[in-house]
Amino acid sequence: MTVETKLKDRTVKQTLCRMCDDHCGINVHMEGNKIVEIDGNKDHEWNRGRLCVKGRAGIDLVYAPDRIMKPLKKTESGWQEIGLEQALDEIADKIKSIKTEYGDGSMGVWKGEAIGFGQQENIYRRFIHAIGSPNYFSNDTTCYAGRHLGYSTVSGVYYQSDFDHSQCIMIWGSNSPHAHPNVTQKIMRAKKNGAKLIVIDPRLSTLARKADIYVQIKPATDGALAHGIVRRLIEMNVQNDTFIKDYTIGYEKLKDYVQSFTPEFVEKETGVPSATLELICETIAKRAPQMTSYVGNGLEHHENGVNNIRAVCCIDGIMGSYDVKGGSLLPEYLNTNTLTLYDELPLKHIQPIGSEKYPVFYDLRQECHTMMLMDTILSEKPYPFKGLILSGANPAMTNPNSAKVRKALGNLDLFVVRELFMTETAKLADYILPAASFFERTEIHGHALHQITTLTERLFTYPEVQDEYQFLHDLAHRLGAGDYFPWENEEALNEWLVEPSGISIDELKAHPEGFPYTPIRYQKYLTEPFKTASGKLDFASKYLKDFGYSELPEYHSPRYISEPKTEYPYTLVTGARKLVYYHSRNFNFKRFKTAIPTPEVEIHPLDAKKLGVKDDDLVKVTSDIDSIDIPVRITHDQEILPGVVQITHGWQDANVNLITSDKITDPIDGFPAMKSIEVKIEKKQANG
Amino acid sequence: MKIVTMDPSICVGCKNCEYSCSFVQKKDFVAKDSNIKVNWYPEDRFCIPVTCMHCQEPWCLEVCPANAISRNENTQAVEIDQEKCAGCKMCMLACPFGNIHFDTNNKVSGKCDLCGGDPTCVKFCISGALQFEEEEDAFYSKRLVLDNKIKKILGKGNSENDSRD
Repeated sequence: MTVETKLKDRTVKQTLCRMCDDHCGINVHMEGNKIVEIDGNKDHEWNRGRLCVKGRAGIDLVYAPDRIMKPLKKTESGWQEIGLEQALDEIADKIKSIKTEYGDGSMGVWKGEAIGFGQQENIYRRFIHAIGSPNYFSNDTTCYAGRHLGYSTVSGVYYQSDFDHSQCIMIWGSNSPHAHPNVTQKIMRAKKNGAKLIVIDPRLSTLARKADIYVQIKPATDGALAHGIVRRLIEMNVQNDTFIKDYTIGYEKLKDYVQSFTPEFVEKETGVPSATLELICETIAKRAPQMTSYVGNGLEHHENGVNNIRAVCCIDGIMGSYDVKGGSLLPEYLNTNTLTLYDELPLKHIQPIGSEKYPVFYDLRQECHTMMLMDTILSEKPYPFKGLILSGANPAMTNPNSAKVRKALGNLDLFVVRELFMTETAKLADYILPAASFFERTEIHGHALHQITTLTERLFTYPEVQDEYQFLHDLAHRLGAGDYFPWENEEALNEWLVEPSGISIDELKAHPEGFPYTPIRYQKYLTEPFKTASGKLDFASKYLKDFGYSELPEYHSPRYISEPKTEYPYTLVTGARKLVYYHSRNFNFKRFKTAIPTPEVEIHPLDAKKLGVKDDDLVKVTSDIDSIDIPVRITHDQEILPGVVQITHGWQDANVNLITSDKITDPIDGFPAMKSIEVKIEKKQANG
Repeated sequence: MKIVTMDPSICVGCKNCEYSCSFVQKKDFVAKDSNIKVNWYPEDRFCIPVTCMHCQEPWCLEVCPANAISRNENTQAVEIDQEKCAGCKMCMLACPFGNIHFDTNNKVSGKCDLCGGDPTCVKFCISGALQFEEEEDAFYSKRLVLDNKIKKILGKGNSENDSRD
């Protein structure tokens, strides 16, 4: 082919990237039906043309030589290719027999992060209720839902930090350059406009390099710092009295509660010097209400996660930064038809797994808890759970206590995994079905911060490689639940979904840069109630109190502080993200491995000296669950606290979740404490 | 001409620029093959990305005994023709900024060519520290930024302070 014809044949499709959860606008350059290049869409408000190297690797993903393209069935002689229709028939028959033998609740679904945008979540919720079980699970029980609970029990919604217009940005336990790449340029634009950046993190993260105030906090003590900030701001008498008086509940109780969080106590508990606390408060005071706190995954993996997050939200609350430009916006969503069946088929008579232990979690998220699923499978309590359809999740690597996860999932009578690759979880399946990548499906997507919606484009399809809608449609029709799946395909579903919005699919197609579905309105609370149970911003939550939890965001020390154990002198933080990897994903792309070839435990130079180890030496890291062997990387002495070590998850050859626990959890949201694990570390001898 | 400008005040040192450049050169993520380098100094919490400035009087071009270095008439980029390059490393010695590296696989010199006028590193810079802009615009805004910094250092004595403090 000559250069001229190549250029002539080149077309550019605009859609969204799903190589991580940032969902940047991308240009997909195609020659015929083949993707040849991916770069950022300059017109998309979310990322304004910029993209990270993960985004370009969409090409690696879609054309990976090890991508699963045929349905596979596990047999005694290994994996056998099987026709899609036959696989669906066999799966449907097995589901019917499981339901007959063990009851409707014995089936469940698990939505993962790897293969589509948000739409599949509600399709799965619809499917599982349509076939009579309430057991919808997802990766959100280890990531995101904890923040949702923390945020929404204070302000009613998952608020959006308005970075671009903010004058003071506080980032708690999040490293945007690696985890949410595009948030970085928003923060940096704000900085260039004079905003101050405060980063609170035990690690000097990539983002913390640019902090005006970097706060190196002891793991899982953020709630104490937040209360200390609230106490000092009130002492400085800079709180927003008008907002507090008219639009909040529980201020006096909060004020009384935080009085014990003196700078001296905060310094002792969190390691944050009182001078730093003072500087933070002065910075907030000068800039409020154009200030916003943004909480990352770091805080939801605390034993006291929800309350630590609520404590942070109280800072924005007393300063009146909610729903003001440059503050913490309460977004409005696209008005679509409802896919879920919680009104029609609530199925509360079958106890949703985890709803008894974590009732608030179920009430606010309508989601079962993966922390309870493994015990349910293994113990058959409260009832037998025998069949699971899991889509694009990899809990054998990403849920705590991997050994238990493997044992439980391996024990199922039917385990169907929809995947692009042979993951550690897929290896446990009875059937693996090839899943459509994000280029091979079309979904209605929202960027809540900008209140814009983007329709992702199905660029091509492969035979027997289905999207989630088509798969669940075909299965539901085999299971007598076809009435709930009347739309022929996801395109038809999309037409139905947008009906109430007044926006047509054609309009969305004409705006791949994002269609503003409703203008942003500030300070909606002046005329409308907050979406909390009380209708006000809840410093003290009657809703939580009615469920038997403390109404205030009480602080409790992590156990490595309250009950230190001499045999486990180190505190292990897990899950800090690396640039090229996305949880357990992308490890099969060769050039990503070139960039970051090995797992590592990040360790302070003083601890390395104590242990007698140098870079690349192997150490054994042991918790009360198990141990793993992993090479050492000694950080700069400012990059991590002495006594604290960090291991990133996702590495098959040093899977940190073999030593994390599913038993030490937050009492409200059930999230595992993966950011403060007590461990010991020993140098491995060359022959050991 | 349009050049790649770098703003260390917002560079986070994430290395997306290095990896994306390496990908253009080698279809791989080998940071040492990148024509843009980003250095991180933890003791000062300082990151700085650096690439070729495409000098008006490029010493590398003048010194090259093989006449392998020339200015691209369309983009004004100073480019190395790796077919002509003898691998003598004179250009590396001549460059006052260390912006030419030795391509160890091909045994020739390697440097930024502005990707033919649409630099990949800029498109993959997630912080916005890299921009591709007309040099006059760039230096004018840089002078303002520098003025501000000098004002802060000499006038206020502490980078934590600004006009509100």
